[in-house]
Amino acid sequence: MPLINFLIYFLTMIGIYSVLAMSLNFQVGFTGLINFGQVAFFCIGAYTSSLLATKAGAPIIVGFLGGMALSGLFGYIISIPTKSLKADYWAIATLAGGEVVRLIALNEQELTAGPFGVMTIPQPLRWLFSKDTYPLFYLLLVCACVAIIYLVLSLLTNSPFGRDLKAIRDEEDLCLSLGKNVRKLKLQAMVIAGVVAGLAGALFAHYITYISPENFQPIETFLMWAMIIVGGRGNHLGAILGAVVIQLFNISTRFIGGYVPFGSDVMSALRMVIIGVLIVLFLLYRPEGLIKESKKVYD
Amino acid sequence: MLTIRNLRKDFGSLRALDHVSLEVEANSIVGLIGPNGSGKTTLFNVVSGFYEKDGGEIFFKGERIDGLTPDEIAKKGLCRTFQVAKAPEKLTVLENMMLAAKNQTGENPLSAVFRRPRVSTFEKTNLERAMELLELLQLLDLKNEYAANLSGGQKKLLSLGRVFMLDPDLILLDEPTAGVNLTLTMELLKVIKELQKKEGKSFFIIEHSMKVISDICDKVFVLNFGKTIAEGTPEEIRQDEQVLEAYLSGASGGLPREFETG
Amino acid sequence: MEISQILANSLVRAAELSLLAIGLTMVYDILKFANFAHTDYAILGAFLVYLFNQTFGLNLFFSVILAALATGIVGIGIDKAVFKPLRRMEAKVVTSMICSLGIAIALRNIVRLIWTSGTKTYALPLMRPFEILGARLTSVQIGIIFTGFISMVAFHLLLHRTKFGKALRAISDNRVLASACAIDSERMIRWMWFVACSYGVMGGTMIAMEHLLYPRLGFDIIIPVFCAAILGGIGNPYGAMLGALTLALAENIVLALDFGYLASLNGLFHFGSIQISTGYKPAISFVMLIAVLLLRPTGILGKK
Repeated sequence: MPLINFLIYFLTMIGIYSVLAMSLNFQVGFTGLINFGQVAFFCIGAYTSSLLATKAGAPIIVGFLGGMALSGLFGYIISIPTKSLKADYWAIATLAGGEVVRLIALNEQELTAGPFGVMTIPQPLRWLFSKDTYPLFYLLLVCACVAIIYLVLSLLTNSPFGRDLKAIRDEEDLCLSLGKNVRKLKLQAMVIAGVVAGLAGALFAHYITYISPENFQPIETFLMWAMIIVGGRGNHLGAILGAVVIQLFNISTRFIGGYVPFGSDVMSALRMVIIGVLIVLFLLYRPEGLIKESKKVYD
Repeated sequence: MLTIRNLRKDFGSLRALDHVSLEVEANSIVGLIGPNGSGKTTLFNVVSGFYEKDGGEIFFKGERIDGLTPDEIAKKGLCRTFQVAKAPEKLTVLENMMLAAKNQTGENPLSAVFRRPRVSTFEKTNLERAMELLELLQLLDLKNEYAANLSGGQKKLLSLGRVFMLDPDLILLDEPTAGVNLTLTMELLKVIKELQKKEGKSFFIIEHSMKVISDICDKVFVLNFGKTIAEGTPEEIRQDEQVLEAYLSGASGGLPREFETG
Repeated sequence: MEISQILANSLVRAAELSLLAIGLTMVYDILKFANFAHTDYAILGAFLVYLFNQTFGLNLFFSVILAALATGIVGIGIDKAVFKPLRRMEAKVVTSMICSLGIAIALRNIVRLIWTSGTKTYALPLMRPFEILGARLTSVQIGIIFTGFISMVAFHLLLHRTKFGKALRAISDNRVLASACAIDSERMIRWMWFVACSYGVMGGTMIAMEHLLYPRLGFDIIIPVFCAAILGGIGNPYGAMLGALTLALAENIVLALDFGYLASLNGLFHFGSIQISTGYKPAISFVMLIAVLLLRPTGILGKK
């Protein structure tokens, strides 16, 4: 039984991270926007949804929608400077933006309870299930979300809209010369990515029922980056595969941790060393990732 | 169609465009020549909105367009190609063509998800047009190739194809025939002439080959040190002593291939 | 807080930040990418100082010199293993930037593996602070200001009086032309990494000396360092110094200001004392960074 429970937990987390990785991939792999503050979306989605459900007493679905909306709004805000900033400056700004969001969660104690975090976050449809079956239901819920997001993002990236985004990623000036409103397209891409990542945040918060600023350290962003670099950018399956690989690695090293004579701090440090090295090795020797960007072929 | 008055552009202390005034009339093909570094491409960059001007006015179809962003200018019907042809590397040749079509419903993310039948009808129409143009440009066999894998000349053709796909009123071409073989060049010139005659398009062309210029241009402007030093028919320009001198004293030295007629 | 105290604190902070920002700005100038691993190189160096100083019992001064040399060599090694192949592949600059992020994570956790996450301190004698013009400064802080000043002068001389500096400036202006003039740009790039890392180690060690040393410190200072570099106009070493000073002043002044006084100026309300919570101290540089990027991305001095 514990093994099954663990497996369900593991798969649920993979699902949530798949959504986050797909969101990041939509920005990086399709639009060419280097976002180093991805965790901010996750944080905003989680906090908004859980605060709406606990403090404001709103129905959980309102919390989810609110989380997605606010995260989308954040996407809108950080997309504004893309028009005047070079890619690397924008990347630095997003890193700072992500930290500002976490600091607000940490310091605005009246709203967010600061370092103590938000506790006893309600779970959707909890009363319908027993304690043992609920995690399974939640896993199915997460899987459904992954499927829907995958479908919607695929529709988007296979449409003329997606073609515009890829063209912006490869040749921004050309798009301008063809009359594309690059600023608006980037803005739309960031809002979509924000809504998607906000959903992941809400799913996460209502799953583990307790969140604190500790859950939204910048290292989360780097894990998501590792996922899309290993899995492959510019296609949604790659992002999901990356989430699976990185999470599998994460969890399996936690398992091994019980059998080797190192402390947990040593193990987690070792894990991150390997992830850092993995990012570099992939960029050097397999820049396209495990799954290549697919080519659209007409006959 | 396009009227430029006293246009000025400085790069630091270097004056790249010095009170340039010229006019491209509707339904005409106008050439722009000049030695290397004389400001031709800078002029295109300013007119198409990629550079900010430092003075002067630009009118297109009677409207002021200086100060607008490149995409706004392109939307008004003035489109340009680049000297070094640009091609999104991970889009195929066909996708490159489809990219250029204007006013696509599917460019709105909401329509892309919720109004798919409408989007695919549009796509079908655009696909047919793209295929026709690719055939004309002899790129049809390469339609599913990534644009990054094309040769320089093929990329030039592709950029022409994209512009034709976009279907603007005035087309600024920056060395459209450089790197394109002779037979295809002739073919291209025919297409350009046809577009002008049948559809009333106007062209403004930077070109190095005097033969191409004499073949298709109604009028030629000569730029040197950011100033227009001569204008007239290709025949008049060829005779103009000032022009000859500009080229002879140019940094490149000797008579350039602009004056090779063969 | 006394104005003289604010000035003194700012000078200390400026010395630390500018030593770090100089390296960042140099790498950006020559290799055109934002090196997110820069402060992690510096903290690796700061831990090496700890190793030489606390574990081997060497004098602090020699420890810093040894650590700076060692980290400089690490910097060259990483360039050879990662950035040089990327240059040869003619990869986009953003690829180098993302790679630097991977290196940052790896370095930070290697430090954590060797020295654990706990905080460390150097063997510094406890001393009573001096009082200079109403400002209280410890001898460590005076040392920081002094070393910072000497290093800046040394950097100026390096840039203008040595072959390396001249070549570096030439490469920065025009890489192609420089290599045509028989400047071995790869060799210069190696030296540049060495100098960038060594200066970083000094800055990182100073920050660790004044507060505490822990593996995550590298991440905690990356934004202020970027802010200082961009504020002064990235690619411009003198700008980095000016940017560091501006940021340091801003941090110390904003925290010292009592906004309650400003808010009750209109006489309608009385707010009492409103001060920015010190929890937001890191946010000052973040917000300033974002503001500078939006308003004047070329920085105060611009490039050169």
